[in-house]
Amino acid sequence: MRVRLALALGLAAAPLAAQSGNGASRLAGRVPAAALPAIDSIIATAVAESLPTEPLVQKALEGGAKHVPADRLVSGVRRGLLQLRAARIIVARAVPGQTPPEGHVAAVSAALARGLPAPIVERLLTVAPNESPGPALHAAADLIAHRFDPDSAADLLVDAHNKGLRDGRLLDVAVAADHELQRGGGRTPSEALAHVRAMLPNVPVPRRP
Amino acid sequence: MSPIDPRLQEALDGERDPGELPADLGEAYARLIAATQLLSATPRLSVAARVMAEIRQNPAPAPAHTRGPLRRSLRWLGRPITVRLRPAWTLALAAGLATVLLLPFERGGPRPGVTQGVAKFVGHFPGARSVEVVGSFNDWSRGALALNDDDHDGIWHADAVLPAGQHEYMFVVDGERWVPDPLAGRFVDDGFGEGQQNSLLIVRPAAAQP
Repeated sequence: MRVRLALALGLAAAPLAAQSGNGASRLAGRVPAAALPAIDSIIATAVAESLPTEPLVQKALEGGAKHVPADRLVSGVRRGLLQLRAARIIVARAVPGQTPPEGHVAAVSAALARGLPAPIVERLLTVAPNESPGPALHAAADLIAHRFDPDSAADLLVDAHNKGLRDGRLLDVAVAADHELQRGGGRTPSEALAHVRAMLPNVPVPRRP
Repeated sequence: MSPIDPRLQEALDGERDPGELPADLGEAYARLIAATQLLSATPRLSVAARVMAEIRQNPAPAPAHTRGPLRRSLRWLGRPITVRLRPAWTLALAAGLATVLLLPFERGGPRPGVTQGVAKFVGHFPGARSVEVVGSFNDWSRGALALNDDDHDGIWHADAVLPAGQHEYMFVVDGERWVPDPLAGRFVDDGFGEGQQNSLLIVRPAAAQP
């Protein structure tokens, strides 16, 4: 069992090491030949616009692995490019005066794909422009996915940040709010958020498997 | 076996002059002495042994291209050697290696680096012949990370060390059926227009985990 795990880890790690290579070259043989020129063109556009290409390469690889027909695969990758452009605009507005970091753009693009409203994204970026935005954005997306009001969710996360919580601890805030909501007793989402806000910064650390 | 004549014995022991022996005993004495000398003489070397001894005494001069220290080192590295192993020592060495290789896994599972975390994948797929997880962490490559169901209870699982951050993934059951992880808790549309959702995994760096 352990030997198989180690082997699996090794196999899983190998492609990770290759991710820093040229994106387009990783697609040969992995996506339908009919889709390859269009995808190459989309990736070239992203390069020309200084957008991160890895999300596009991943989307193409995903489509190839799932045997998505060429036309829909190209549409999916193009949708990814549009999302990256939208993300960069948001990052540029929230973090003015500097070239939008690729990591920020990719994280914002992923948050938009999860359905996070652009104003909420921008607000969270503004609070901590020089920190990795991924955890805060995911925490907000988690809260919204669990039917919390987007603005109230953002308020809670901004408050948590102001009280010193960072990175994964922001995800713990979202987990705590969800637990409060599920605790029962007729607690409304806003009451659950208020309860968690009262705990800050001492939200419980969820037990992990 | 016939006993030796005491006179012959005395002659062989040097206690009697061999010339005093009767003719037949004198002849036997001569044969025995010759045989003794033959046995005590240094045996002659075989042809092969003599050739090897000659080579050792007069080694051939090394060719010009093997005279430098680098060349000699390379020659030494490429020279076959014979290693004699005792079974007991070999077994002890194997046991030591197995201990070093297996103990870290038994004690703490896979060990992530500073910017990595451990992801645990679990799925309930009773009757499945195979389950694997495919996602952005392995370039959506098939066959890279298989789940196991060693006790055949239909619960498949695997652990993997992954880079911290967000990863989209799906399970592939029996090599053909793509299934989101129902336990993921986070999902995102895969963007290919048919409403299919990927599972979303957020890996926290192990260093940040309590």
